[in-house]
Amino acid sequence: MPLSEKAIVCACEDVSVHDIDDAIAHGYADIESLKRYTGLGTGPCQGKSCEVGAMRICAQRNAVPPPAQVPFRARPPLAPTTMAAYAGLPAEVTGARHATRGLRPTWGGGAHPLQPPAPLPGSADVVIVGGGIMGLALAWNLAGKGAGRVLVLERGYLCEGASGRNGGGVRAQWTTPTLIELAKESIAFMARFAQELGINVWLRRGGYLFLAHDEETLRRIEYGAELQKRYGLPTRVITPGEAGEIVPQLDISRFLAASWNPEDGVVFPWPFLWGYADGARRRGAQVETFTRVTGLEVSDGRVRAVQTDRGRVAADRVVIAAGAWSPMVARLAGVQLPNVPYRHEIVSSEPLKPFLGPLVSMLGTGLYFSQSMRGEIVGGMGDPDEEPGLNQTSSLRFLARYGRALSELVPQLGAVKLLRQWAGCYDVTPDHSPVLGETPRVAGLLQMSGFVGHGFMMAPAVARRMAEWMGGAKDEIFERYNVRRFAEGRLIKETFIIG
Amino acid sequence: MPRIHLDGAPIEAQAEETVAAALLRAGVTTFTRSIKYHRPRGPFCFAGSCGQCLMRIDGLPSLPACRVRVAEGMRCERQNGPLGVENDLFRAADFLFPDGLDHHHLMVRSRLLGRVALEIARRLAGLGELPEAAERPGRGELRVVKLVIVGAGPAGLAAARAAGAGALLIEREGRAGGAELLFGAPVDTDAGPAELLLDAECVGLYANDTAIAGNALLAVRRRDRLLAIVAERVVIATGGVSQPVPFPGVDRPGVYAARGLLTLGARVGRELALVGEGKEANRCAEALSRRGYEMAVIPGVPRRALGNPVKAVDTAGGKRIRCDAVAIAQPPAPLHELATSAGAQAHFDGAGFPVQTDAEGRTSVPWLFAAGTVAGKPPLASGEGAGSAACR
Repeated sequence: MPLSEKAIVCACEDVSVHDIDDAIAHGYADIESLKRYTGLGTGPCQGKSCEVGAMRICAQRNAVPPPAQVPFRARPPLAPTTMAAYAGLPAEVTGARHATRGLRPTWGGGAHPLQPPAPLPGSADVVIVGGGIMGLALAWNLAGKGAGRVLVLERGYLCEGASGRNGGGVRAQWTTPTLIELAKESIAFMARFAQELGINVWLRRGGYLFLAHDEETLRRIEYGAELQKRYGLPTRVITPGEAGEIVPQLDISRFLAASWNPEDGVVFPWPFLWGYADGARRRGAQVETFTRVTGLEVSDGRVRAVQTDRGRVAADRVVIAAGAWSPMVARLAGVQLPNVPYRHEIVSSEPLKPFLGPLVSMLGTGLYFSQSMRGEIVGGMGDPDEEPGLNQTSSLRFLARYGRALSELVPQLGAVKLLRQWAGCYDVTPDHSPVLGETPRVAGLLQMSGFVGHGFMMAPAVARRMAEWMGGAKDEIFERYNVRRFAEGRLIKETFIIG
Repeated sequence: MPRIHLDGAPIEAQAEETVAAALLRAGVTTFTRSIKYHRPRGPFCFAGSCGQCLMRIDGLPSLPACRVRVAEGMRCERQNGPLGVENDLFRAADFLFPDGLDHHHLMVRSRLLGRVALEIARRLAGLGELPEAAERPGRGELRVVKLVIVGAGPAGLAAARAAGAGALLIEREGRAGGAELLFGAPVDTDAGPAELLLDAECVGLYANDTAIAGNALLAVRRRDRLLAIVAERVVIATGGVSQPVPFPGVDRPGVYAARGLLTLGARVGRELALVGEGKEANRCAEALSRRGYEMAVIPGVPRRALGNPVKAVDTAGGKRIRCDAVAIAQPPAPLHELATSAGAQAHFDGAGFPVQTDAEGRTSVPWLFAAGTVAGKPPLASGEGAGSAACR
């Protein structure tokens, strides 16, 4: 068997010149999309041996103009470094902290150099602000139902926000019936996403294992398992010994019991966005990236138009699906949402041979980790000292806390090297439930936000129901989850939040 | 002489050399199989950067064989070749998908075939097996300094001399001087009154979020521990990294970075095909010939490399050049990652992404400076400029 004649650009991930040309042909020529679509620069060398070669190809093909010929955002650690090394960092690194500012965009500032020169259409029937999974899934559903001209506006590249930054966990283990149902339907859709949308999302159903470290958490998982059983899930509470049979590497002395649903799983998040965007376009919707919304025009209690850095689009229906940026967008219409953005950090390890089936989460600390289809241990951990704000920068503090927590729970991971850390923003509501439906006193301004870090796994079902509701179907969730519940004191408490 | 083991077989090594040098000396060129197509791979950069020589060593997965020094009884195991790395049957993936395997659109029509593909992909994923043993946290430390200079090559040394006392110069290698030492060029390795810390690799540069005053927070790796440093200002002088050129076969064993061969104690044959032109190729050719190599210089991009390990190169003009190994001599690309991860701007100049600086080495981040190759500037003048500006 002779070796083939591939011209390899990225040796870590086996990406060839042919693969780069293919990504450019699909419209993913900007370096951040090129990295995600081909996988180049995501291996152990972190792009040090391929980024220049890839950019040379893009430049030769005139695929990106010179101002956009920038490196992709480099991710620490800049050389693979063990969790044990981070775990040993001194208390000053993980103790009291000061908030830091976010980073400027890699291209400098102002309009993105890849912003399309063509003007936007003067009007649309529905404008969706935010090209994350919510907005794109809604566009695909709407365009399939003859909702007229649908326009999605995304300020960056597809995958730039939380939809491209999450750990890919999908589960039906929730403590409110609506979320259980939304998640069940969504996971079922994910299992046939490739046939519906033509791209693989690699749903692997290795289960979700929630660990309870104290009596209070144990009661929570018992309540959750009982409820989930009523809604047809196979969730059960198991002993540490049984959990140790599912994940033999766990230190089972560190928890009292676990909640186990073998049907939950993990997906590869990025292709959802590419798939929904392509699918929506095939059905006639327009998806515009690198386009910023700068204003929302409201008069006589109705939304009238969206202003952007590429001109004005008249529309009497505008959907805010901008994740953690939603409150900022809503303010453009004079609307105050109760949502608050919080940074959540995440890190990916060196690729290991498969050993870990489920996503494991410690409910008390918000530690979670799973093994991706590429073999990396992908995980994160909440930080009680995190200040609110739209911050997508990484911190050393996170690696120290995560390294410590994970190498305590799974001692064999201590010598595993971390490769790449990043951050995204949760869109947090006071009751940890979403904000859906029409904005009080602003007819036509629709909300689709507040998913507190789990919107990704609900989007397929939420978007289907929202499209049908927008088409005139009755659906009580758009009343029950309306933003007016906060003023009226009708909160819907969800308690199974991790990270 | 230490004896190491490769997949159980003993290999005589020389004291102080790296695992990569010992294996190449023993005629082993396939160090691992690639992650997707199971193509044979061997070391390229010899600087711990390229990730092509990762190996399981003494029970720890994916360590760079080019950076680990041999020790008596060391156990080296090749990864990602479940049925043997030399004749890995999974290399069929490379043969069956000559244009590449589009994993996004593989088997999307059928749910059943998609699930089969998922199961196969899951089993073939990853490189190393889990570490054998648990590892305890390596006790880290924290230091607070005024100025940190990262990289003790000519630019970093010049910055340190200009900055004077109170500056901390960190260097990932065991000696100061940088890549210039490879060419036997005289380097002034005097850091002046600045403190020099060797074997210290900066793996992260963050905006400081600790309660200690200072703009920057650095994570510096010293063997299995991390040193955290809080600093007011930082000068990045990390130099560059060897680059391959994409042509068919460039990833095969037997294709090396020319600068990498200069760092390697062992020799990889006698006759080299040296790919490159201009100053970098001339300097490398000269230095390699002093090491006893004979060279055919190939300007431009070759059409293909042949053999495993590579024993011949076809030039763009169609000429076949036989050789013992190939050396790629491209100008090193700026190691911009530390600076840009902290928010500094960098733009493509055709050969890399030099960090943008003003006349005094300031980047777009107020507390961050860059000098030398990483900024695309002459090392001595830019180092001195950045060193003095960072102290003002």
